[in-house]
Amino acid sequence: MRVRKVTAAVSALLLIALTVAVAEAAIFALLTVFSSILRVYLVVELADRYLLVNQALWVPMPHVSVHEAGTVGSGLVTFGCGLGAAAWRYRRWRPA
Amino acid sequence: MSWLVRLYPRSWRRRYGAEMEDLVQVMPGRLSVALDLLIGAAIAYRDVIRRDRVLSAAGAYLHGVCVAVLLQAIAFVSLILAGQGSSDPTDFRLGPLVFATMVGLPQVIYAQLGESLQAQASILVLSRAWWPEAVLLTLLVFALAIVIATPRLLRRLR
Repeated sequence: MRVRKVTAAVSALLLIALTVAVAEAAIFALLTVFSSILRVYLVVELADRYLLVNQALWVPMPHVSVHEAGTVGSGLVTFGCGLGAAAWRYRRWRPA
Repeated sequence: MSWLVRLYPRSWRRRYGAEMEDLVQVMPGRLSVALDLLIGAAIAYRDVIRRDRVLSAAGAYLHGVCVAVLLQAIAFVSLILAGQGSSDPTDFRLGPLVFATMVGLPQVIYAQLGESLQAQASILVLSRAWWPEAVLLTLLVFALAIVIATPRLLRRLR
């Protein structure tokens, strides 16, 4: 019984991590498309690495940098919104 | 057309599956019937999810994640709209934490340009059209409204 509970908890954690990862990938895809439509350079920072999404570097264009705090904060906001909504529903749930 | 019955939840199929398959077989294979079956499957899943507390919370979690994705996309486009027409950096910050910065024109490139080109580049930045951002923002807000309203709309389906 205890093993079953641990397995269920690990599965739930993995699913939560997977949903956040998919959501972050979706956000990045959206930002890439939007930066292309709106003609801005996009720089995403994460742990000393820079991901540059650009068009032609020699064309002077505005650029948007998403700093490390923004990248980490994005994951936290996504997770927090999901968790908040789930907790709210769990507490207010009534049998139909 | 009877394969569409397999889209229904297992508990539902166990109870009504055979009966429903018989019914579908005597009905004409029209698009409206297929659409009815699809909507019926969505309603059946909604009922199964609503009956279970954990499944209901999991559904709410996914809904919250979708809302968060759209909110962040709105924040991104709003930042571009706010920094539009300004060559000074525009920050999106919370206290000491700077999440994102919009720079009207890359300062390095700007500094390398000659005087006449600097003037041209400034005009280019200042004259950027604002309507693509506005249209995108409107679409995103509309999408957010739909996503927020979806659970209520699903609850009304019978």
